[in-house]
Amino acid sequence: MKDDLQDTHTSGLPGFLGVIDSGISRIESVILAVGVLLMAVNTVANVIGRFVFGESLFFAEEVNRILIVMITFAGIGYAARHGRHIRMSALYDALPTSARRLLMICIAFVTSGTMFFLCYYAFTYMQSIYNTGRVLPTMGIPLYLMYVWVPIGFAVTGIQYLLTGIKNIFSRDVYLSTHVVDGYEETETEV
Amino acid sequence: ANWRYAHEEFEGDVQDVFAHKFKEYVEEHSDNTVQIFRFGELGESDDIMEQTQMGILQFVNQSPGFTGSLIPEAQIFFIPYLLPVDDDDIIDFFRTSKAINEMFPELYAEQGLELLKMYPEGEMVVTADTPVRSPEDFRGKNIRTMTNPLLSETYRAFGATPTPLPWGEVYGGLQTNIIQGQENPIFWIQSGGLYEVSPNLIFTGHGQFTTALMANQDFFNSLSADEQQLVRDASEYAFDYITEYVPGLSDEMLDKILEASPDVTVTRLTEEERQVFMDRAPRVEQRFIDMTGERGEALLEQFKADLEPYQSR
Amino acid sequence: MITYMLATMIILLLLGFPMMIPLIMAALVGFYMTFDGFGQMNIMIQQMMGGIRPTALIAVPMFILAADIMTRGQSANRLINMVMAFIGHIKGGLAVSTAASCTLFGAVSGSTQATVVAVGSPLRPKLLKAGYKDSFTLALIINSSDIAFLIPPSIGMIIYGVISGTSIGELFIAGVGPGLLILAMFSAYCIAYAYIHKVPTEPKSSWKERLIAIKDALWPLGFPVIIVGGIYGGIFSPTEAAAACVLYAVILEFIVFRSLKATDIYRIAKSTGLITAVVFILVAVGNGFSWIISFAQIPQAILGGLGIDQAGPIGVLFAIAIAFFIACMFVDPIVVILVLTPIFAPAIASTGLDPVLVGVLITLMVAIGSATPPFGCDIFTAIAIFKRPYWEVIRGTPPFVFMLVLASVLIIFFPQIALFLRDLAFR
Ligand code: NA
Ligand code: NA
Repeated sequence: MKDDLQDTHTSGLPGFLGVIDSGISRIESVILAVGVLLMAVNTVANVIGRFVFGESLFFAEEVNRILIVMITFAGIGYAARHGRHIRMSALYDALPTSARRLLMICIAFVTSGTMFFLCYYAFTYMQSIYNTGRVLPTMGIPLYLMYVWVPIGFAVTGIQYLLTGIKNIFSRDVYLSTHVVDGYEETETEV
Repeated sequence: ANWRYAHEEFEGDVQDVFAHKFKEYVEEHSDNTVQIFRFGELGESDDIMEQTQMGILQFVNQSPGFTGSLIPEAQIFFIPYLLPVDDDDIIDFFRTSKAINEMFPELYAEQGLELLKMYPEGEMVVTADTPVRSPEDFRGKNIRTMTNPLLSETYRAFGATPTPLPWGEVYGGLQTNIIQGQENPIFWIQSGGLYEVSPNLIFTGHGQFTTALMANQDFFNSLSADEQQLVRDASEYAFDYITEYVPGLSDEMLDKILEASPDVTVTRLTEEERQVFMDRAPRVEQRFIDMTGERGEALLEQFKADLEPYQSR
Repeated sequence: MITYMLATMIILLLLGFPMMIPLIMAALVGFYMTFDGFGQMNIMIQQMMGGIRPTALIAVPMFILAADIMTRGQSANRLINMVMAFIGHIKGGLAVSTAASCTLFGAVSGSTQATVVAVGSPLRPKLLKAGYKDSFTLALIINSSDIAFLIPPSIGMIIYGVISGTSIGELFIAGVGPGLLILAMFSAYCIAYAYIHKVPTEPKSSWKERLIAIKDALWPLGFPVIIVGGIYGGIFSPTEAAAACVLYAVILEFIVFRSLKATDIYRIAKSTGLITAVVFILVAVGNGFSWIISFAQIPQAILGGLGIDQAGPIGVLFAIAIAFFIACMFVDPIVVILVLTPIFAPAIASTGLDPVLVGVLITLMVAIGSATPPFGCDIFTAIAIFKRPYWEVIRGTPPFVFMLVLASVLIIFFPQIALFLRDLAFR
């Protein structure tokens, strides 16, 4: 529960790539934190509104719908970066390091490919919503804007896994993400 | 061919009965098969509509209230006291109305949908923790509504506090008094057991729960003339059945409810009491026009013209 | 088609792919075979969006946020101290206190993992010092945390409620009976263990110490009042109760106890956002998966083939329990709820089983699964928190698993264990 991820956003990548990488990480973490705080404020205000003023905030539900998409899709990239996606590693853990590294390269590239695949369809889905001109019924905001995060989130996650795969090719340790080394010793500080 | 048909209700509800009558006709008069998907099987109302627009489903039954984000004008059915209450009048109106049979198909066509049939599912009945006869009685009551701005406006105009809540929370919400009332056709009140926790039934006469069957237009246009006629005949066949079925169903369901619970009260507003609520309808009409502009206004005028014959009776 | 889908899913799971990938790939196989290609992949995205749309899901991040604030603050410790002051001195009292603390903390927290951290961290050193074996200690902490899943609030119940359309308020109250039953079983085992292994008893607290402990715990005890009292008193919907908990947690830890600083809120919110995203991406892809199996009418085919329709209510309940139990041995609980609930939905509807009873049973199986090897998220949490090897962590679990399975069987034959309180509150 105590996910004290370091706030430094140091990248595991060299040079220019590293600058972009840590920039993305910084933006993602701000979106996550601000998204959750806004959701809390919005939901609490809605409750107070109903009790104190006898009327719910008319926009509360739609704001939360927007925020939940934002949090989810900003979060999957961030989780990928910190090696935090849930996986079942019982068999994987039993393998020797070299085999684990090979398997991790394979996992990272396949996952990356899947993310880019979904990114493409998320983009076309967003386009089709744009073409219908549908809006959120209460606030009148175009629906496609709510989905902007979806292709971006998939793309960022895809890039993270792509980099993880590359990192594993060029290193002797096994990396769960660009800067999280696999193994129980290393994850101690992460949980 | 196998045609896929999705609707928004559970097994045995009006839309399900309509769907099965449609299926029965199609399968009897052709080699086509119809596969019916019920509520939730393929997602929510918005989802099955999109799937129909994409052509994965051939037919979709969606209530105009849910179509609001696609066709704002469809929310006209939420304007209170617009439609007649009498069973024969309402059926006759749906058969003959120019607004319904000529104007609406054009609006749906803009969204790539062939409107096949609009039909009523029964009068909207309010249930509450106390009997209600006037807007004063509604004061301070949270009435659960579907998430729809126009419906919220109606209940605000009636003096209540509209409270949108998902269907799954309605029974518990009534039980624990988060909400003091809700509105639904009588068969939902019966099958959902809502009368157990909200025993005062109020027939306000303010609305008919209306719904519509439509097809993906590209699919429909690709059919041969014979098959298009088959689809239209099947819709007509199901419509004829429903017009007999719904009025009987309402009485039957009310009897069942009265039999099941001694606490249930039935309030039917008198002419004068109804007038007090009717006087508040223009505010909702104005909101409808604000939301839909000139096209909505034209539709509303046509609606009223179509309804003229029933008002004078 | 279902064979290919399941084969894809299981292979990728076993290879150690992130959980979302087996689900996505299985769905892709389904889409490809149904539509002869990827022409309709838009629907997958649509259904992913539909999966995280229901407003009731907002309760999940809100309960996680409240629990995170409390775990980092003082609420958890104050609750534990109160339990210890009263039952710490009986034979096996420290172990019983651990189980009871998990139950009590479960009443303020929605997740079992938060409970492992909040109760396990402070109590494990005490248990070891008192002479309990580490394998027993770890198994006790992990399995007692299961109880938190059954006692409201419960994230598993929220997700089951959302996808099955069942009242979350009713599910919450129905979890209390089974939760207490399991607490009673565990307590009996702890006492027996203490006698057999001759664990010495702890000194008894004076009444003065007890009064102080109660006084300290009064504030955190407001959480169950908000959740249970709020929902059943007709004040809050489950989502509103979650929001009220967040507000209350902020007031307690930041203003009353002053255990956290304003700057902490950013880190806490970020970590809540991360956990939410990891869970919700599974909810999203799970919805895409269940759409394609529903579209291809697979549940009807499977259940018809197995003849479950003819099995009667008890038979269906057993089938559900076994399927969820086995699946949870290998897969994350949330994923299991997402994949299996829609498959069993037609059978539940046709046998007329109470969806609340089914929900409680499913939640129990899922809770057991979180603590049973080989895959168990509570096991992984314990490994990471306590820095003990996998084998050591799971060695003491068999007696607990046996008791949990016994509890499930009891609930199947005596549904009133779960439904009694619900009927009292709602019917
Ligand atoms: Na709990
Ligand atoms: Na497990």
